[in-house]
Amino acid sequence: MFDLRQTDLTRGEFEELALKHLDPLYSAALRLTKNDRDAEDLVQDTFLRAYRFFDKFERGTNMKAWLFKILTNTFINRYRRSVKERNIVEGSEKDAVHERFVSREAAEHAANPEQFFFDRLLSDDVLKAVDSLPIDFRLVVILADLQEFSYKEIAEILDVPVGTVMSRLYRGRRLLQKALARYAVVSGVLQDVGDDGSIDLEAYRKKRGKSA
Amino acid sequence: MAIEPTLSAAMDCGEIERSVDAYLDGEFDARERAEADLHLEGCERCRALAEERRGVRDALRAKLREAMAALAPAGRAPQELRKRVEEALARRHRPLWRQALSPIPLATAAACAAGALVVLATHGGDAALVEEAVRSHHRALPLEVLASVGGEGPILAWFADKLDFNPSPPRFKASGVRLLGARLSHLREWPAAYIRYELPRGQAGLFIVDDPKGRFDASGREVRMGQQVIRLVAARGYNVAVWRDREIVYSLVSDLDEAALFDLVRTAQAEGGR
Repeated sequence: MFDLRQTDLTRGEFEELALKHLDPLYSAALRLTKNDRDAEDLVQDTFLRAYRFFDKFERGTNMKAWLFKILTNTFINRYRRSVKERNIVEGSEKDAVHERFVSREAAEHAANPEQFFFDRLLSDDVLKAVDSLPIDFRLVVILADLQEFSYKEIAEILDVPVGTVMSRLYRGRRLLQKALARYAVVSGVLQDVGDDGSIDLEAYRKKRGKSA
Repeated sequence: MAIEPTLSAAMDCGEIERSVDAYLDGEFDARERAEADLHLEGCERCRALAEERRGVRDALRAKLREAMAALAPAGRAPQELRKRVEEALARRHRPLWRQALSPIPLATAAACAAGALVVLATHGGDAALVEEAVRSHHRALPLEVLASVGGEGPILAWFADKLDFNPSPPRFKASGVRLLGARLSHLREWPAAYIRYELPRGQAGLFIVDDPKGRFDASGREVRMGQQVIRLVAARGYNVAVWRDREIVYSLVSDLDEAALFDLVRTAQAEGGR
């Protein structure tokens, strides 16, 4: 029968295994929900849910990946609906625009100097650039490039094939690179480079408007 | 990308181009890696591509870490969050088998656990009062008078000869908020009206106390809503909104998160509710 001490032990074990991942989970939640209150709720829900299903967790397997999977599912089931309502138009337009970029851009990489200017970008701009990515790409980039999960782990977290992870990561990185370059131009870190097409028109105009 | 075909036995330019990220991410197995290296040795353009992508990838990763890893503000959970999670876990102190058998979906269960609305007169008091409201709400003592079709009228009438002030509960205009009933309560030695509400998810408990001398105060975050100051306090895993209307202090105890609680309180204020 139910033994209170047993439950205490379980909770202790859970807290020891799980709570050390609080920071990375919160950081990811913040990029998903884009505001700290929702992020905190999402993280709390994630831990409660994880605790509830702790008996299903196989000891010795990857707790961090398991928590990220729960975080992602919880976000999609509970929070994304409302976020989506706010961003749906914006998101789909962005998607379409980026689609064109990516295919055209692949050929231009070797000439692009953005990477050298990344160093001078402010963290705020980096966050904005990350937030500007459509959610699927944002997630994969965070999981791969920040949390350094393997493709296989990401595939399990998101419940998609490894091939999907690869293509999302490929596109996500290029979108992020593009977005960072845009912020670099707007904030004047990167000189606008004229008509070679590697800087998008909107950012170019913004900058012109700013200095005019 | 226009890359001249090569004669490499292992990988060709197209394959390198498509999988260069996986190569750089260390996702290739030993054989794939050898095949790729073999091609890169002999193909200057692919080598340049790989180097360029490596540079971008490393720069991206460094920037992301700088902006979002634990040393950055956006990479660190607020201190209160850890406490809040621990408290929430402690409250979820139930045998796992029972949770597994629970027919209520998690979201609903979490919401049900939440939700007492405490209205305390504010000013001059202390956090212990909020604690007491939370504790009292958490005990979930049976209601002494149930709301019926009559709305709040019968409840107010019931209170009339039991308190030396007339409790006047705010009207929460949010949909799905329903008055359940009330009971006499007290916060420390002061008599209080306790009113329970059903929310779309969970419940809330409202304490109303008379405080002409401004004994009560709440610490916590102050949120202004027009002229009204609402204080939001977290205690024992609950969120409590405390505000004052002249001599009456309201404390609303709820499992709602802060934002939702604030929104709820706002619906009453917007209506000119008390």
